[in-house]
Amino acid sequence: MNFGPAQQGEILSLGMRNLYIVPTRFGLLWLAGIGLLLVVAIQLESNGPLLLSYLMLGLFLLALHLTHFNLQGVEVRCGQPAMGFVGDTLTYPLRLRCRARCEGLRLRLGKGDPDAARSLSPGEHLLSVPWQSQERGRRRPGRLRLLTTAPLGLFVCWSRWDPPVQQLVVPYPRRGPVGRADAPGLPEGDQDSPQLSPGDGDLWHDLQPHRPEDGAGRLAWKLLAQGRGAHAKRFAAPLAEVPLLAPATGVPLELALQHLCAAILRLHGEGASYGLVLGGTTISPGQGVQQRDRCLEALALCPLQMR
Amino acid sequence: MKRKRAPRRDPTTAHAGRLQWLAQALLIVGLLGLQPALMLSWLAIGLTVLAGLKLLEAKQLGERRLVGLLQMVCAGVLGALQPDLAPSLLQGLAVCLALAGLLALEAGQGPDWRMLLRRSLQVLTAALPMALALFVLAPRLAPFTPMGHLGAGIATIGLSDTLAPGTIASLAGNSSPAARVSFGGGEPRAIRERYWRVLVHDRFDGQGWQSSPVSLRARTKAGDGDTAGEPPRPTQATEQQLWTAEASGLPPVPWDGRSQPLSADLRITPLGELVHRGRPSQRRLYALSSDGGPGEDWRRAPPDPWDLQLPAGANPRLEALASDWRSMPPPKRLAAAQAWFRSQPFRYSRSPGTLPSLSPLDAFLFERQEGFCGHYASAFSALMRAAGMPARVVSGYRGGDWVQPLGGPGYLDLRQNDAHAWSEVWIKAEGWIQVDPTTWIASSRGGGLRAGTRVGGIGWLERQWWALDIAWSRWWLGFDRQGQEALLQRLLGEHRNLVGILVISAVGLGLAGAVGVLGWLRRRPGGDPPRREIERCLAALARRGFVPEAGDTLPRFTARLATSHPSLATRLEALITPYQHWRYGPGPRRPQEARNLAGQLRLQRRELERTLRREAQRPHGEARRDRPNA
Repeated sequence: MNFGPAQQGEILSLGMRNLYIVPTRFGLLWLAGIGLLLVVAIQLESNGPLLLSYLMLGLFLLALHLTHFNLQGVEVRCGQPAMGFVGDTLTYPLRLRCRARCEGLRLRLGKGDPDAARSLSPGEHLLSVPWQSQERGRRRPGRLRLLTTAPLGLFVCWSRWDPPVQQLVVPYPRRGPVGRADAPGLPEGDQDSPQLSPGDGDLWHDLQPHRPEDGAGRLAWKLLAQGRGAHAKRFAAPLAEVPLLAPATGVPLELALQHLCAAILRLHGEGASYGLVLGGTTISPGQGVQQRDRCLEALALCPLQMR
Repeated sequence: MKRKRAPRRDPTTAHAGRLQWLAQALLIVGLLGLQPALMLSWLAIGLTVLAGLKLLEAKQLGERRLVGLLQMVCAGVLGALQPDLAPSLLQGLAVCLALAGLLALEAGQGPDWRMLLRRSLQVLTAALPMALALFVLAPRLAPFTPMGHLGAGIATIGLSDTLAPGTIASLAGNSSPAARVSFGGGEPRAIRERYWRVLVHDRFDGQGWQSSPVSLRARTKAGDGDTAGEPPRPTQATEQQLWTAEASGLPPVPWDGRSQPLSADLRITPLGELVHRGRPSQRRLYALSSDGGPGEDWRRAPPDPWDLQLPAGANPRLEALASDWRSMPPPKRLAAAQAWFRSQPFRYSRSPGTLPSLSPLDAFLFERQEGFCGHYASAFSALMRAAGMPARVVSGYRGGDWVQPLGGPGYLDLRQNDAHAWSEVWIKAEGWIQVDPTTWIASSRGGGLRAGTRVGGIGWLERQWWALDIAWSRWWLGFDRQGQEALLQRLLGEHRNLVGILVISAVGLGLAGAVGVLGWLRRRPGGDPPRREIERCLAALARRGFVPEAGDTLPRFTARLATSHPSLATRLEALITPYQHWRYGPGPRRPQEARNLAGQLRLQRRELERTLRREAQRPHGEARRDRPNA
């Protein structure tokens, strides 16, 4: 079942006014089963099937309320979504507060399949719901549908909500040629441009204490193994050699963005410095997680027509 | 990136699968006792097979749900076919398991067996009051079409339409159960009077006795004796007999020949047979009332020409003996026959051997002079016919054991080897009178009839079980349409039109109660008593808007709250410190300590709630300003 107006707002607070409940197809079959048993009971004047049919009717009436109870009083807010790639399965974080036990909860974002049923104890829960986006940029995940059929599957109770917080979706990384802001585009197929690499692992010229954001790629493993502490390698990176990435010329924009994304991730993994020139935006060279995220965000938000 | 397909068989339904297989196994066991000749048996078998096949191939939720429903319907149909205590217990268990399977399907990951079992019991118990209200109060419909005797002709052990003792060499000692009867007022009568008639054999062909065909049983002269229709209401004072007759393949059921039927299923034929409309291939349950009335009308039904029918020349010596008595008045003929039997050296024997097919009764009366009840009854009845008196043979049961179980009322236990045959003779002034020629032999020679026997071991257990079975029959199977009518009459009296309102309000009340209790159970915090108190405190704080942040520990949350709300600080301290100490302190946590602590925490919680109320009454803006999460 999927109808009824979708709720808006920062917090979805489920109650009588925004929960919908109807019998499932199984519920209707259940009623048919009750009918069959009643016919048998009346025709054979037998008490067993009669009591069973009444018991099933009682369960049906009870299930109506129990199913509704599952979602009643649940509060849903958005968490802080992390960025993800186009076409990849993204996880959208949701914070649920249940006042009582919530059984058989299924969540669905957009047009995806509902995930497996879960039962939540009273209290706060951080859930992540999978969804996919085919477009980059800041995207809202679409309509969230919360539904439950617990305890017996006779009724389905649901509510619909448009979560307001957007998730950043960046182009899917794809290896390919990227351009340099100060040079023409590299020939196609040249994927490991030597200019972009600060050199192999031995070409570092200095050490500094390792910080978590430096990543494993820059850790001086040899020194660590010798018990001399965790140090990060500093590579010789003359200013002129720091690549200033730009979309390759002659490549469609979306594809170029995907190549750039792959290049940025590779450079970040290697601990190199890099910058980005994209349309009117210039991100000066740097390194680290923040630099990567800044660049990826610029890729995600790049206008369709670059000036 | 490709999305991963979810595995087809959901691991979370593993519990459900096991429960459903268990339910399926119970249903298959239940099928074993079915009569394959019944159409409905095949419905039950078909449904069970269908559920089994579906269960084999079911991988998705919807299919598994369907299995659960099929299993419940199967159990219900089996319940109609086998309403006795033991099968009913089996069916009840199957329903519980099928329901638990359905619950397990929906609950998703997490719940363990104990939780599932508790949940099924909760849900079942919650739905039961509603079901019982409907069961007891909702008026029942009459069957859509009369069932007829679906199973007639099925061979079962016991009495038979034909009584030809000459063809039986020896009686098998068959001690399988025939019927049980319990009386409202304890053990009813002396053993001599315990003649339980079933079949009347009024057709004699010179060798054996037959019953009239079923179609003729309600023959023309029936009008006066047929008591079909609305059965008489029992008055409070009457003694009620509750009979359980095992499957016999014959429509007539045992009775004492004088009681009143209490249900519309029963009909007394002009021959004095009590015919039950239920299926003879199944155990039948019926109630009789011991006070007189039309129950004995059959004794006054005049004989038919064939009650004198005797093939001439079939047993010439017998005819010659009886012709001497023809000149006497009827009671004298009876006395003469009795005197003749007593004067001859007859012996009772359960294995007298077969009689010649030519003149068998002559051979018995004048040569062998050895036989069992069937021989005596048929020979005596033939003699009476030859003497010009209408006579017939009745077969049924005689005697039976009075069983006093450990608890509950006693009952009379009739076995197949209590089967007996006797005669009935028509004397105009008295009607049909019962004559048992076997007693002229057996009582003087001793033996033949079984008095109360002692049983041990399994027999004793069986009798206790049957006592339970009788209680079950009385309270469960005996509650039929008539019983319900009587109950409604007692409850409502004149205001029968209020029955609809009564049913709806009873169901509504049941539903409200069930929803209320389950809702309360759901909201009730889990864990040990101190934990529950702490949860209640947190709930009270949450109602005022004080909610822990994600990742907050209890001390951190309360410390934060105490800083922002100094007025709460002492209360929170008094709550948290002893709890933390008990929870994380050294040494074992004893239940007594937990209870004491919970009592202490309860007092502190009430203080806290009072403080919170006072806090709430402060000017609004002031209260809101210092909320930690506002």
